[in-house]
Amino acid sequence: MALPHIFEVSWPDPTKLGVDSKSAAILLNEAKETFAGHLGVRSDEISFLGEPSLGFYLALSGLLSPNTRLVYSNIDRMEIFAIAENYPNLQLATSTSGEIDFKECTNSDVVSLQLCNRETGIIQSGRPTNCAELFVDATASGTRIRLPGNWSAALWDSISWAGPGGLGVLAISKKAKWKNPLPHLDSRVNPGPTSLPLIVASALAIDSWVADEKNLAEKISAINSEIRTYITDKIPNADLAPGGADHLLSASFLYVNAEQLVTILADKGFAVDSGSACNATNMQPSHVLAALGTLTQGNIRLTIHHATSFEDVKIFLEVLEQTVAELRA
Amino acid sequence: MEVLDCLGKRCPLPVIELAKALKSKPIASRIKLLSDDPASAPDLIAWARMTGNSVKELGDSAFEVTKLTD
Repeated sequence: MALPHIFEVSWPDPTKLGVDSKSAAILLNEAKETFAGHLGVRSDEISFLGEPSLGFYLALSGLLSPNTRLVYSNIDRMEIFAIAENYPNLQLATSTSGEIDFKECTNSDVVSLQLCNRETGIIQSGRPTNCAELFVDATASGTRIRLPGNWSAALWDSISWAGPGGLGVLAISKKAKWKNPLPHLDSRVNPGPTSLPLIVASALAIDSWVADEKNLAEKISAINSEIRTYITDKIPNADLAPGGADHLLSASFLYVNAEQLVTILADKGFAVDSGSACNATNMQPSHVLAALGTLTQGNIRLTIHHATSFEDVKIFLEVLEQTVAELRA
Repeated sequence: MEVLDCLGKRCPLPVIELAKALKSKPIASRIKLLSDDPASAPDLIAWARMTGNSVKELGDSAFEVTKLTD
């Protein structure tokens, strides 16, 4: 189904009466079933959010009470840092390879677990087992990593399966003691309504993404290795952040201004992000790179998409090597 | 100790100027680098690790750098 067609058929409000609304309700339920199947949750545990990052607040504030301790890590998303300011909290420090040790957690804590770090691709292998409630940040891992069995709430971002941006999927487990932190009169998690066309488009995207991933995972992994090897062998004074997920990679280059590097790469047709201070709105270097001890200057963050080809990467690496050399001259 | 004043200069300039200043100096030379850029503390430690030199954070935007390799 093409996106314009989705907008034509999913305009009615699925909660109203009438034939059109009933067909919209069917589309919504089918989408929920699709997500439930791929994400490993029940369809009645799923809510949609028009602003994915709001899910951090909705999930965690609903699990925390004023005296509960929030345990999180220093490579968690800044949204979680902001929530932690309002509660007793414990920030766990990552090792230089990105591992977090959850042994300090107690059975009265609410713990935040990031399955995959979106800047570096670090996959967290540790699992907090001793906690009252477990929030899982699955915004970067998408369907790649299964939820731990003791999850209480989990958040995904539609862009992680190449779906439309501006759509989050929030699951609240039926076993969790979650209370809606927003003013509410009914059992809805999110007052909504969230765009039904986006939900339907994202459900189609997750289906095709999962099907493609089976065939393309090996290629993505090979491309990641090729980029790492090239940077290590050919570009002096480069610092690769620890990684894990094959679709993500973060590398820093000593004596290079990241803003210039990103701009030149963009001019040559390559869209890359950066964790360097000069590229951030608050002029602070990435807290993730700083926590890992990875160089923060001259940083680029790469996402390898399903459509990325070896040819693209070959050209990119040559341009990168040349640009880094020019900027250092 | 020689002082290299990079106050007000943004990353990566303090690290670039430090590397330039150290280039002609003999091994075991020390420089006091002043830098208030928020990226300097993590980046000087990473620079020392990558290049095999030594950095000690003195506080108040000051770092003591010892050249250990050419």
